[in-house]
Amino acid sequence: MSGGPPERLEMPYLRGIPLPTSGPLWAGFGVTMVFAGLVTHWMVSLVGAVSAVAGFLAWGLACFPEESLEELPKGSEAIDAAPQLARKSNAERLVLPAEMHPYGSGVRGGLIGGVAMAVAAVAWGVLREGSVWLPINLLAGVFLPSVDAEDVQTLKTFQGGVFAIACGIHLVASVFIGLLYTVTLPMMPRRPLLMGGVLGPVLWTGILYATVGVVNPALERFISWPWFFVSQVAFGLVCGVVVSRSRRIRTMVNWSVTERLGLERSEGGGR
Amino acid sequence: MSTLHASPHAVSPERGVLERLHAWAITVDHKKLGVMYIVAGLVFFVVAGLEATAMRLQLIKPLNDLLTPQGFNQMFTMHGTTMVFLVGMPILLGVGNYLVPLMIGARDMAFPRLNAFGFWLFIFGALLLYFSWIAGDGLYGAGGAPDVGWFAYSPLTSRTFSRGNSTDYWILGIMVSGFGSMTTAINFMATILCMRCPGMTLMRMPLLVWMMLVVAVLVLTAIPVLTAAQVMLLLDRTLGAHFFDPQQQGSTVLWQHLFWFFGHPEVYILILPPFGFISEIVPVFSRKVIFGYALMVAATVGIGFISLGVWAHHMFVVGLPPWLNALFAASTFLISVPTGIKIFNWLGTMWGGRIRFASPMLFASGFLGMFLIGGLTGIMLAVVPFTHQLSDSYFVVGHFHYVLFGGTVFAIFGAIAFWFPKVTGRMMSERLNAWSFWILLIGFNLVFLPMHFSGMLGMPRRIYTYQPGRGFELWNLISTIGVPVQIVGVGLFVCSMVRALVKGPVAGNDPWDAWTLEWATTSPPPEHNFDRIPVCTSARPLWDRKNPQDPDCNYE
Repeated sequence: MSGGPPERLEMPYLRGIPLPTSGPLWAGFGVTMVFAGLVTHWMVSLVGAVSAVAGFLAWGLACFPEESLEELPKGSEAIDAAPQLARKSNAERLVLPAEMHPYGSGVRGGLIGGVAMAVAAVAWGVLREGSVWLPINLLAGVFLPSVDAEDVQTLKTFQGGVFAIACGIHLVASVFIGLLYTVTLPMMPRRPLLMGGVLGPVLWTGILYATVGVVNPALERFISWPWFFVSQVAFGLVCGVVVSRSRRIRTMVNWSVTERLGLERSEGGGR
Repeated sequence: MSTLHASPHAVSPERGVLERLHAWAITVDHKKLGVMYIVAGLVFFVVAGLEATAMRLQLIKPLNDLLTPQGFNQMFTMHGTTMVFLVGMPILLGVGNYLVPLMIGARDMAFPRLNAFGFWLFIFGALLLYFSWIAGDGLYGAGGAPDVGWFAYSPLTSRTFSRGNSTDYWILGIMVSGFGSMTTAINFMATILCMRCPGMTLMRMPLLVWMMLVVAVLVLTAIPVLTAAQVMLLLDRTLGAHFFDPQQQGSTVLWQHLFWFFGHPEVYILILPPFGFISEIVPVFSRKVIFGYALMVAATVGIGFISLGVWAHHMFVVGLPPWLNALFAASTFLISVPTGIKIFNWLGTMWGGRIRFASPMLFASGFLGMFLIGGLTGIMLAVVPFTHQLSDSYFVVGHFHYVLFGGTVFAIFGAIAFWFPKVTGRMMSERLNAWSFWILLIGFNLVFLPMHFSGMLGMPRRIYTYQPGRGFELWNLISTIGVPVQIVGVGLFVCSMVRALVKGPVAGNDPWDAWTLEWATTSPPPEHNFDRIPVCTSARPLWDRKNPQDPDCNYE
């Protein structure tokens, strides 16, 4: 018998584990037979009901008035998982992103990189297609499905609304990628400029190569992949240079909420 | 209050076969029940595999007559039903049953007898379903096994089109095993929320335990809806109700809504535990803590929540209003975000790690690749016009097999390879496991990749044969050739398990140098799991034990 008063916060089965019982087996069998009788014979349901009652009775007797527990074996080999911790050590782990560039540098890098990219794209338009407006109109095709239906001559002319949309897309995307660079470049293991300036554009070009037919069918009709890649690299390198030249600042990933709110001073001495 | 008894197992350690069987039959130990779930699931996996093999042989060439049309219908119905209800769910619930109490430092589930009851309901429900092969004819002499598809669309299930009792057996068998699943879900929730060891806060729980908690919520939300729909269908079939009879003001679309309200969360019930397996395996074999634990938890809860609002993407071609299709397309796109976060975080965990490609990690890597393909084709199918073209084609069959076989089954094999030493105390053969993985990977892609092409060429699913000259021959031939390759892959894995049980090297308590609590106890664990209730100090309590000079708790 268990002795002593029940302890507060006692874990279930602290002093024993549940004793095996056949109750659940018979109860499960009985319940199934009750349903099986619906498609066989009422006698099957009857047998099932008897089995279920017997099973639930055995089950109940295992729990009431006292739960039947099996005594824990003494001195088994199961080891204790409570750790013996030393005092807090001086060891430090790097939690990424440990450092990043200021957001301002990302905005700046994105805008300047965007200009470099626009120069490359416009150069393609002028040198290969004889129009400065073609690449701009094609860019707007991401948002304007109607661009896909326009003929080449129309696409080579200035269209105010389309120009505004293309500028908006270009600005937002450039700033967004610039902001991404502020976080990702410091995390690159080696040569962040190479990763951001070349590898990133390679991956992006690959993704667009596979999906351009869906996201911008108009662009697919005219796109020159070497020029596209050159414009991406122009953006990546310029943006990467601008961002990576700014100083790095420590992030708050290891700070507590109170430190972030400025209620407590962080161990690192603030940002 | 409780009554303590001497251990019945300590009385007669040398027991005969019958005594051992009896001990297993009356057990309420979560570990034995977990093993029984898994073994039963693997047996049904073989059965479902045989059914699939029969289908593939039938489709190996045009106008084949190996199976009758009705026989083919029965095969795909029983294959789908078996894989979802009798293979996926029991194995995943079984692994959870075995591991959850160990991982949270508990001695058993919260309701051990209810746990046993749930298992027996599953077993007897499954047997009732398969009893239909014998008794499904009923008084009409028509029927046999159910032949209405695993989704049992109305009005195909009405008495008019489904004579005999086969559909009734489908209803009752699934309903009974569904009761079992619900009891198990209640048990998981109570166990996880109430029985964690001291120090194990919610944000220190192993990710597998988080996944099982969300799965339990999904089971309790989704399965009652299926049960209710099945009761309505039973009333239609036996008492002349007309819930799903359009000629009597009933609605066939209502059945689809009710079924898929269960059916799509069910997909996540089948994939979230594998996410948990991968989340435990990848860090251990990358020698790194999981990348973005908090985000993984948030993504899991997010998936659980969003999965309840995507069901009608299975109904894009039913004729729902366009705004409703757009809504469900959007929610389906949305669910790819937390799923993508998970894949990103697993890759982030591997990035820069000292990766050991032991067999659990091989299967986990296979999971990542195959599930990603299944996920991407899933996003394609979330586009309404795309589904208008490819709904009910073999493209869809290929897609969900990449999710449920390439995802769930690969993860299950990885989990078995990972925790087998803990369960049995013996190591599996790494060489056999590696062979099994590569052969299975090749066989799997041989079978299911061509289905995307035959589907895009217009081959409908669930057809028992096809005409020559439509471009389907080559793809179906390749698919069928892949079947024996898969069988060899699975066979090698089974050989590895049997070999390990017979003469596998002793595993020791912690063969993989892992960090969660189940590895703190012996292999196999004693009936009471731990001599003393462990104390958890961080999300990696065993790391803290092994590295007291640099414990994780310093950084939490």
